Amino acid sequence: MISTVTCFALAGLEGVPVTVETDVNKGVPAFEMVGLPDAAVKESKERVRSALKNSGFQFPVVKVTVNFAPADLKKEGASFDLAVAVGLLKASEQLVGANLNGIVFLGELSLDGSLRHVRGLLPILISAKARGYTTFVVPAENAGEARFLDGVTVYPMKTLMDVVKFLVGAERPEPVRPVRYVPGARGESSSDLKFVKGQPMARRAVEIAVAGGHNLLLVGPPGTGKTMIARCIPTIMPDLSFEEALEITKIHSVAGILGEEGIVTERPFRTPHHTATTVSMCGGGNRVVHPGEISLAHGGVLFLDELPEYKRSTLEALRQPLEDGKITISRSGGSCTYPARFMLCASMNPCPCGNYGSEKLTCTCTPAEIRNYRRKVSGPLLDRIDLQVEVDAIAYDDLTGEAPEESSKDVRERVNGARAIQRNRFEGESLHTNAEMGERELREFCTLSKECDRILRDAFERMQLSARARARIIKVARTIADLDQSEEIMPRHMFEAVSYRLPEFR
Amino acid sequence: MTQEELGILWLVGCTDLDKRTAAALLRAAKNPARLLEEYEKIAPSVINSPDARLYKERGSRFSALETLVKELKSEDCFAVTAVSDDYPESLRNIAAPPLLLYGKGNRALLKKRRFCIVGSRVTPQWAVSFGKDIARELSEHFCIVTGLAEGGDSAAIEGALPSGNLISVLPCGLHECYPASHVALKEKIARGGLLLSEYPLHETVKKYSFHERNRLLAGLSEGVLVLSAGERSGTLITANCAAEFGRDVFALPYRPGEARGIGCNELIKKGASLVTKAEDILSFYNLEVKPEREEGADRPDLTPEERKVYEVLRDGGELHTSVIAERAGLRVFEVAAVLSSLEIKGFAVKAGGNRYSIAR
Repeated sequence: MISTVTCFALAGLEGVPVTVETDVNKGVPAFEMVGLPDAAVKESKERVRSALKNSGFQFPVVKVTVNFAPADLKKEGASFDLAVAVGLLKASEQLVGANLNGIVFLGELSLDGSLRHVRGLLPILISAKARGYTTFVVPAENAGEARFLDGVTVYPMKTLMDVVKFLVGAERPEPVRPVRYVPGARGESSSDLKFVKGQPMARRAVEIAVAGGHNLLLVGPPGTGKTMIARCIPTIMPDLSFEEALEITKIHSVAGILGEEGIVTERPFRTPHHTATTVSMCGGGNRVVHPGEISLAHGGVLFLDELPEYKRSTLEALRQPLEDGKITISRSGGSCTYPARFMLCASMNPCPCGNYGSEKLTCTCTPAEIRNYRRKVSGPLLDRIDLQVEVDAIAYDDLTGEAPEESSKDVRERVNGARAIQRNRFEGESLHTNAEMGERELREFCTLSKECDRILRDAFERMQLSARARARIIKVARTIADLDQSEEIMPRHMFEAVSYRLPEFR
Repeated sequence: MTQEELGILWLVGCTDLDKRTAAALLRAAKNPARLLEEYEKIAPSVINSPDARLYKERGSRFSALETLVKELKSEDCFAVTAVSDDYPESLRNIAAPPLLLYGKGNRALLKKRRFCIVGSRVTPQWAVSFGKDIARELSEHFCIVTGLAEGGDSAAIEGALPSGNLISVLPCGLHECYPASHVALKEKIARGGLLLSEYPLHETVKKYSFHERNRLLAGLSEGVLVLSAGERSGTLITANCAAEFGRDVFALPYRPGEARGIGCNELIKKGASLVTKAEDILSFYNLEVKPEREEGADRPDLTPEERKVYEVLRDGGELHTSVIAERAGLRVFEVAAVLSSLEIKGFAVKAGGNRYSIAR
């Protein structure tokens, strides 16, 4: 007898329906799997055998053929276990009277018959819903991810036995109850701008960067608080909307790093170490393409501490995603596109010894050493970093002073104000922030007065900037004007925008 | 070139004889032209070693010289010898005057009055911009002599190059470049000013060549201005040579304890003239001084805010942005805008670490 069971495979952030056909025939006992299964899928044979036996069912001693359709799509992972087991039970007539039509089965089996967590449930649910599937059987551990989707009935199950009881109608389990999304509560976190003493320039730069979605470079001697400031960035970013949260959750779900709560409610802050490879940064893998750090930082911050220490090739690979906000990774197994719209925040020392430009300490580096150190970060990448600001050594008085600094909450209010202006400006367009503006939008929203144009031209000659740097300065000036609630870009905005370029970091 | 000049060119440029032997040969020959013709007769009386066997063939002497002359021509270089008309007289009274100098660029500059401006590679920004201005003003009266390094030397080059009154003395052959990053700058000087070197065209830089070069810097000039010098800076070698050769030494004053200026302050203590503006040097040489530029207080092209910040900078020296903001009564980001405007207009310079000073 033949049975067919539906489950889903992942291709990037998309779920693709896979039909598991099981045929049980008389003949020499055997278990064949066809339809391009990878090693993990093939191994499901042993898991299914033990899970069936330990749940009190028979593993049929006949010739069994399992086909995964479509046959040309490569299948990987253990999430097909449940579908194979259910198909086998149905085909060997141990599941009498159960109707499997329209139900999607997902889950990895453990040897004792319990169900284990699977990767990428949320993207699968979203794709399946779009294709008209509404009933799902998933591992209980994954239930959290399903809570935020309405219009679907998701049954969380603990064991294979529970699944069978449900299918034959012996039990009526409770489906997952949908929950309304609430943005992450921002409690008293250890990172808050009010703990950052002094550093008025860096604080201001961070505020502008977040308000307009600009990239940021912090340059300063070791131990001046570059990392601390960077960690405060998520605390002043606007709350995640449901759509954004869902998109980020999809990526995190595919990467298998989603927490218990099942949805990402806070903006990601990714800090890959400088030994990171290009693949770990951008995504990749042998046959199946996994998202990299830049995709995991989507909607949040990618913080690269000690920028010149990263491999040059890794940094250069960031250039295209920084422009496009997404990355397409091609492998022999196929290509897929992951979103990668992140805010890049990088930090570096001004020279190898770290004391260049310091008031009290003497820099022991030669000009050639400094040049070589800075040259590790290429011009094209620096061009894409709109705000470059020096973080200087703080005086001890500032450090212990009791005078309260502005808190993240207050700064966030101003950021939200500037973002609201941008939302109005880009209504009906696919843009979110000033930093994403293209040439056309620049012309439309950033008309420069004669005076501003002259300032820009002077700065241009003085600092020998590239055309891209010019566009980026204008965008920063636009954001500064937004923070100032000014319709027009005034000369003072332009001057300030120009001051966030360090000419020696050309 | 005359036969005498060719004789010296051969002696220094085509042989591996050390300086002392070369000088002794020259004395023995009386006329340098004889070296080419009759070297084998002169050499045995001077050189008492197996080396005396070398260079005995007359034909190979001439062919070596011809190769060198051709190479100089193809590289667009020239040679100035101790018997040339335009050999700088001031070089004759220094320690071990060079018999031969290679040059590239405007040879006429050798006949001008010369003044040397040097600084260490870690010259602070304010001193760089000061050096630039002073080099520009002095280049109206002097040909500015300096090296090719970053920092102080570059400031002097930048100030003097537009007028073309610039000699840059290299610590390596004219074909080489040290620091390598200044290749483009070197070419610019060859076109607009003059490059000098006492080393063969392809000689790479050696540790000791900086010492030798510094003696030339001092020797070529009437006076030396030191823009910056740390406690053990190479710039001090130039200043000491200058004092030894009887040249005038000038130095920029620094705040006590400022590492980049310890050497300058030491020089002043020892009797160097303190310089705060180009006029100090010009009046020392009884040269005409142009009326001083008006002060910031009545600069008409500054907005009130810019003027306020400019005055704070003028009174306070090198200041941190937040201090400037406090003193000017502005918010930090407002000051950042004003400072960047002052910087673009050329009134302020970044000193690093969010600190600024006025542009001189």
